[in-house]
Amino acid sequence: MAVPISQMWTVSTYVLKKKLTGNKRYPLVLMLEPLFRCNLACAGCGKVQYPPHILKKQLTPEECFAAVDECGAPMVSIPGGEPLLHPQIVEIVNGLIARKKYIYLCTNALELKRRLPEFTPSKYLTFSVHLDGDREHHDYSVCREGGYDIAVEGIKEAVKRGFRVTTNATFFDGTDPHSVRAFFDQVMGMGVEGIVLSPGYSYEKAPDQHRFMGRARVRRLFRAILSNRKPTWKFNMSPLFLEFLMGDRNYDCIPWGMPAFNIFGWQRPCYLLQEGYADSYKELLETTKWEDYGVPSGNPKCANCMVSCGYEAPAVMDGFGSLKGFIGMVRGTFSSYRDSHALKLLNEFPTQSQAPLVQIESNARALEETNV
Amino acid sequence: MTAEVLKYTREQVEALELAPGTEHENLEGWVPTLASEEDLQKALEKALDYRGDVTMTLKSGERIEAYIFNRRTGATLADSIVQYFTPKAPEKRSVSFAEIARLEFSGKDRAAGKHWEDWVKAYNEKKAAGEKNIALHPESLE
Repeated sequence: MAVPISQMWTVSTYVLKKKLTGNKRYPLVLMLEPLFRCNLACAGCGKVQYPPHILKKQLTPEECFAAVDECGAPMVSIPGGEPLLHPQIVEIVNGLIARKKYIYLCTNALELKRRLPEFTPSKYLTFSVHLDGDREHHDYSVCREGGYDIAVEGIKEAVKRGFRVTTNATFFDGTDPHSVRAFFDQVMGMGVEGIVLSPGYSYEKAPDQHRFMGRARVRRLFRAILSNRKPTWKFNMSPLFLEFLMGDRNYDCIPWGMPAFNIFGWQRPCYLLQEGYADSYKELLETTKWEDYGVPSGNPKCANCMVSCGYEAPAVMDGFGSLKGFIGMVRGTFSSYRDSHALKLLNEFPTQSQAPLVQIESNARALEETNV
Repeated sequence: MTAEVLKYTREQVEALELAPGTEHENLEGWVPTLASEEDLQKALEKALDYRGDVTMTLKSGERIEAYIFNRRTGATLADSIVQYFTPKAPEKRSVSFAEIARLEFSGKDRAAGKHWEDWVKAYNEKKAAGEKNIALHPESLE
């Protein structure tokens, strides 16, 4: 299991308590963005397209703590921008650890090795390092040669110092599942606790708008990647959410389960869409027209989304909130998902040994050839 | 299916191969005509999605160059506000829709020229020229 028992216990008791008290809308993970500034300039990034005066702004530790205290989620993910560029990130992390929050600090790791001595290993703190593939693939993806080597150096140093470390990768159209599976071997060999992965989402502010897979294509890709797993692979995600990506389960989006807070306020309705901001989590819950979002609403902006910020919360709530879900979660944790059809699907993908992992030159590429 | 489809059925969503994405207009430098309340509301919605600063000229004559990030709409223009950050003030500010006389999409569109193809082209050119440590770097914040 990639997630420690103590964390599972905290989350499961939290979910059960909410269920027993009849609370239907509650947060599981707070997406806390303390700044949008980044030290990478990835082409097509949908998160950092702001004027310089916005990129210079950052949340204070007090603003971070107030948001965490108000919403009460047991887990806090710190994306950005690059959180390690925040001058008070250590104070923010220590304040969250003092509040016994399980933190996933999402970093490109360019600054990780240098800043590690400022942090103290804790079961509450995980460095979630952005790594999109092997050296060639990752460097191409983040538009920086040498980025992979620096990130891996940071990962190894963090593991050596006793920190919890995961990697996180985002996959776009044209991803080669063979390459991803080889990458999983490579990552687990670095001693990380587990892998986090996600299909890309069509951020409205992203410069490119034709790189994002629809649901049918996401399911085929993830079925090819995640079936017939090797026993060494560990995933720091809900097994039920991974089954959702593979097309074995269906959930409806729960955007309030992973709310986002940043310099603008509480983002409406979710981490991915920017349709305005609320001043408090309570206001977000009470004044957002939730029925306008998610697949049942028919909203085109939600059409391709299978991202964890909308769909991992219902998977976790299902896993800890029902006997059927719990059994599925336990079974998924230990299953290798043997599937001969998926193996055939995998073998039908062309291997792109000479091409980047994120090989997205045209709209009509590999995956269409795998229609079965 | 295209981006023009207003609503999807669940069946359509589940069958999607590629997401339609958002069509970005080239708004840099645009000065919308604000002849009616509807014109103003539409222009402010575009300002909200714009990836650069917008200059608002108020009916008082004051000019505010700002990044508009939120709006709260009420029953009337006077009850509706936009929220913004200016380059010099640290705090969020707001102004009523009713006070706005003119809008200009004056700031640089921060996503312009940052397409994947631009990177691939630049990378291939630099690689062919024998360059090492090829990278895109964040723009200066000064």
